[in-house]
Amino acid sequence: MTPAAGTAPFAWAEDGTLDTRRVTQCALSRICGVCGAGLGRPIAFLGTQEEVDRNAFHAPPLHLACGERLLATGGADGAAGSVLVTTAGFEYVRAAKEDADRRATFRPNSLLRSR
Amino acid sequence: MAISDVKEYTHLSEEDVEQLGRELDAIRADVEESRGAADAAYINRMITVQRSLAAAGRVTLLVGAHARRGSRPAWVAGTAMLGLAKILENMEIGHNVMHGQWDWMNDPEIHSSNWEWDTAQPAEQWKHSHNYVHHQFTNVLGHDNDIGYGVLRMAREQRWHPLNLGQPVYNALLAGLFQWGVALHDLDLDAIRKGRKDPQEMKRQLRQIVRKGRNQILKDYVVYPALSGRGWKGTLKANATANLSRNLWSYMIIFCGHFPDGAMHFTEEELEDETRAEWYLRQMLGSANFEGGPVLHIASGNLGYQIEHHLFPDLPSNRYAEISVRVRALCEKYDLPYTTGPLARQYGQALRTILKLSLPNSMTAPDTPEPPSPPVERGRRADAERPTRRTETGAWSRSRTAS
Repeated sequence: MTPAAGTAPFAWAEDGTLDTRRVTQCALSRICGVCGAGLGRPIAFLGTQEEVDRNAFHAPPLHLACGERLLATGGADGAAGSVLVTTAGFEYVRAAKEDADRRATFRPNSLLRSR
Repeated sequence: MAISDVKEYTHLSEEDVEQLGRELDAIRADVEESRGAADAAYINRMITVQRSLAAAGRVTLLVGAHARRGSRPAWVAGTAMLGLAKILENMEIGHNVMHGQWDWMNDPEIHSSNWEWDTAQPAEQWKHSHNYVHHQFTNVLGHDNDIGYGVLRMAREQRWHPLNLGQPVYNALLAGLFQWGVALHDLDLDAIRKGRKDPQEMKRQLRQIVRKGRNQILKDYVVYPALSGRGWKGTLKANATANLSRNLWSYMIIFCGHFPDGAMHFTEEELEDETRAEWYLRQMLGSANFEGGPVLHIASGNLGYQIEHHLFPDLPSNRYAEISVRVRALCEKYDLPYTTGPLARQYGQALRTILKLSLPNSMTAPDTPEPPSPPVERGRRADAERPTRRTETGAWSRSRTAS
């Protein structure tokens, strides 16, 4: 499940956009969006300050170490300037018809820390 | 059929469907807001009860095995406690913990990332085959491997093959060996048959299954019998009986969730552009409940509330009973079917489907209930109104080359 060196993280396409099918797989199979292996505890989410404020993230759950690495390298979906939050659990919210952005979101339900 | 072809909801306008979705969202929000100490106490109590039953069962069997006289009552009591412990662990605890229903507690042990259950399938593979494949593609033919577990024909839309004549036998084998059938589930036998399975991934999964299965066999059929001394045979038989009871029970409960009359199957046409409300609707129409008291519901992992579980798979299972009252009221309000009945009737219908579909469609009649209301014009197109979906480009390419 671990992506080969030089390839995009598991839940991202080569062009840096999120692969929606894999995002769903990460959400339900409870696997990390970077390495594709089973999640640990705590669970990390990487997002913009706006996503943090709305408590609605588009990027899938990550291992803490994978999230920190992604944050440090500014990889994948423009992670530079992003915020990393940790949580024990999350809600997976599918898009409703009235949502302008038809991507699913993640709502951490027991925030532990944010940085 | 695609969801837009389902007569049970064609009387609803698009706005009705979205309003139903908003009302289901409100149920979810209410439970999330009120989730707290009482729910945490519930799952901790369940785990305590389950571990006490397992320990008492093992001790009773060991004491009985070493006793000179009167070991029969000890064997019966020990086996019953062990069987119950396995059922509780798999159904109410393991299955629900691995859905992430209790992750919000931030408990280091009761968490979807850590839980490894007392059955042959590795937790990681269960979370893929069940949480993702089954819950995302519920009752979608060709996607949801729970439709017949790769060995049974469970929908009239599935093509009949002479091998289906053996379904009554395959079904009995699947029931008795259910934990091993589930252990092989994520390998996706159909994908292997069609040569679509990545060989490396298959080897990795097989190694996991062999390791987990070996440990299960060692525990129940080597270590505990060895500890029983001369009474090893009794302990071995007790463990086999407990495992068989758990297999039969979990098989029956799971088959009652999607195969009684009224639970529908779908095709993949609209999965890609499905809204949240339509996803809710597919879960409701593809699932079936059964009725019973609190003990029956706990022993079945609250899967007697299969409709509620499929709507909200990550909400705590102890809340499904209260959620079901509101979901049933919504079904009445929107004139939607709410498939439920006594456990024996629901399983009887699933078994009848297994037996009937062992024969070609021309020899049997469908058991689909009549839809409730007359349809109204809606925005979404039905299957017949959609262009044919092509799965290959060969004919098109050849025609371009020829011209």
